Amino acid sequence: MSTTAVDRHGRPDAGPPPGAPVPPRSRSRASVLPSPMTGQEMVLVAVVAALWVVLGLTTPAFLTAGSLQPLLVATAPIALVGVGMTIVIITGGIDVSVGAAIMVCSVVTAKVLVTDEVNLAVAVLLSVAVGGLLGLINGVLIAYGRVHAIIITFGTANLFLFAGLQIFGSSTVNGIPNTLDFFGRGPGGRTWGVPHAFLLTVLVTALAWWYLRHAAGGRHFFAVGGDAHAARLAGVRVQRRVLLAYLTTGLLVGLASCFTIAQGTSTLDQSVGTGKELAVIAAVVIGGTSIMGGRGSVLGTLLGALLVQSVSSGVTQLGWRSQLSDLFVGIFIIVAVGADLLRARARRSR
Amino acid sequence: MRHHGRFAAAVALTTTAAVALAGCTKKNDTDDGTGAGSGSTYKVAFVPKLQGVPYFEAMNAGGKKAADELGDVQWLYQGPTQADAAAQADIVRSYIQQKVDVLIVAPNDPDSMAPLLQQAKSAGIHVATADTDAPNSAREVFVNQASTEGIGQGLTDALMTAMGGKGKYAIVSCGQTAENLNSWIKVQRAYTQEKYPQAQIVDVVYAGEDQAKATQMATDLMNAHPDLTGLVGECTSSAPGVAQAVRDAGKIGKVFTVGLGTPQAMKPYLADKSSSASILWDVENLGYLTAWAGEQLAAGKQFQATNKVSDAMPAVEYDSSSKVLLLGPPLTITGENVDDFNY
Repeated sequence: MSTTAVDRHGRPDAGPPPGAPVPPRSRSRASVLPSPMTGQEMVLVAVVAALWVVLGLTTPAFLTAGSLQPLLVATAPIALVGVGMTIVIITGGIDVSVGAAIMVCSVVTAKVLVTDEVNLAVAVLLSVAVGGLLGLINGVLIAYGRVHAIIITFGTANLFLFAGLQIFGSSTVNGIPNTLDFFGRGPGGRTWGVPHAFLLTVLVTALAWWYLRHAAGGRHFFAVGGDAHAARLAGVRVQRRVLLAYLTTGLLVGLASCFTIAQGTSTLDQSVGTGKELAVIAAVVIGGTSIMGGRGSVLGTLLGALLVQSVSSGVTQLGWRSQLSDLFVGIFIIVAVGADLLRARARRSR
Repeated sequence: MRHHGRFAAAVALTTTAAVALAGCTKKNDTDDGTGAGSGSTYKVAFVPKLQGVPYFEAMNAGGKKAADELGDVQWLYQGPTQADAAAQADIVRSYIQQKVDVLIVAPNDPDSMAPLLQQAKSAGIHVATADTDAPNSAREVFVNQASTEGIGQGLTDALMTAMGGKGKYAIVSCGQTAENLNSWIKVQRAYTQEKYPQAQIVDVVYAGEDQAKATQMATDLMNAHPDLTGLVGECTSSAPGVAQAVRDAGKIGKVFTVGLGTPQAMKPYLADKSSSASILWDVENLGYLTAWAGEQLAAGKQFQATNKVSDAMPAVEYDSSSKVLLLGPPLTITGENVDDFNY
């Protein structure tokens, strides 16, 4: 990390003292980028792997397709929204409206599926469009309103909740056709044993990982989160970056809502999406993204979501009491934030 | 920058105000009492755990029907939009201020509701509970949908019929502190042990109100116990959830499920046999009985040991020692009668 050219606050490092040999150009270009995998991510890979091995040995069927496939399907919506949330948190913001946004997208899509019997592509496009609209509302208010994101998204969360309940209109949505089974837990949701929902999530994560790491636009998100003022002076279009972060989150919420409908039953009730914003933020934080902004990785978020779902499934398969998974997730969050603070302190003292 | 800040604050304030207003509008919309217009009418207010869900909307429909038929009841219905004890308490307080004649609550948290019911009673309002009791409160009657034994035994018998009276099964419950769910589970445990010695409950897990989580937990339970042949969905979100899990795992006919599901939600699962039966009660009749009980309290009439409430409910039993009106034995909903219910 000592080779990073820009520190957390966006100030350039002092650099080598005058007279010191200038490093070759190619080497300095490579050193601008953080290492492909952070320490936190390597730890997470090790923890998930160790957990799976232990659960494989202590339960009858944890490491079988019948158990791992549903686990990956259940991980997908949280990890997918987590990609957007990671970008939002990297810019120094937060989006606590994603749970309510999932509700709106799900109820609109479910209702259209029931009444108009649209096909898979139309249903997904509709859900993504609705999610994009909600994300745009957040993005415009935050980028141009200049109130802290937690206030705006707390407000819009309530607005979305109201809208969702109005669309539900005092009843559940019954008899949802199995159009979205393509993303579900059943045999229709897999190709060669790989669940479509998880495959899509991995693809989106990989794309976002590459963009955030290698594209100038991607690096700008970090600059905005490090120090928005400095980023602006450096020519970054801060408002556009901020708006894009929330818009992306909204679009991903739309797709994740399709996963959510597919994972539920043929009835959709008003509790859909409840508390999902906290589950997503937990995955992001456990993945090593700094809640203060400026640092983070979507790969970590995917691993964080996978760890949380593995713990939840593991607790059930071990026959332990359900509330223990809350305890473990709480510990993970505190350990992850603690590790982040220690890293920040180490960087400062250097 | 400063101006931007102020503008943004104004936006935030306007947004908040809009939310508040929108909330009020919604509440007022549903606040239309449909009782008889003139003469001496009793204001009977019912506060459900949450409004907008089919279960309590069906109760509301039954209450309205009773108000129309009885003629001297103005039925008021309002609940929180989420099953939240504090939000529910606010609504109860507003009804106390409106000086309704009878206040009937399905409490989210019986303990915190008790002092409010006492406050209502002190203000001269008759108080009662329906659907969920607050046993240590000032309530004058509890309108009970079914006895704890009736539900617990009904669920167990329905599952055992499907499983052939033996085998391992697990329960996917919802809120871990939900008093009624926990008391049913207690009966299920005791009754299974006593009447079906070859059957065994291997686990009870809690999924909250989250359908997807209930489904995932049911999947994990089947993986944890390869010899599992039964699942119970203890509430309206986990009842279809356990059936969906069985369907997804391709285990229809190998793992049997029953649950407390609303009829229309269970219909597709009853059709493909991923659910064997749903145990419930006639929710509209429960609403009707609730409104009727409110009328009796307001008019100062005593409940009899058996009461003729309506043609559909000719003999509703009342237990004077526990002050409980009992709707009757639970219904078993299967593929045959599921279309008799529109909720």
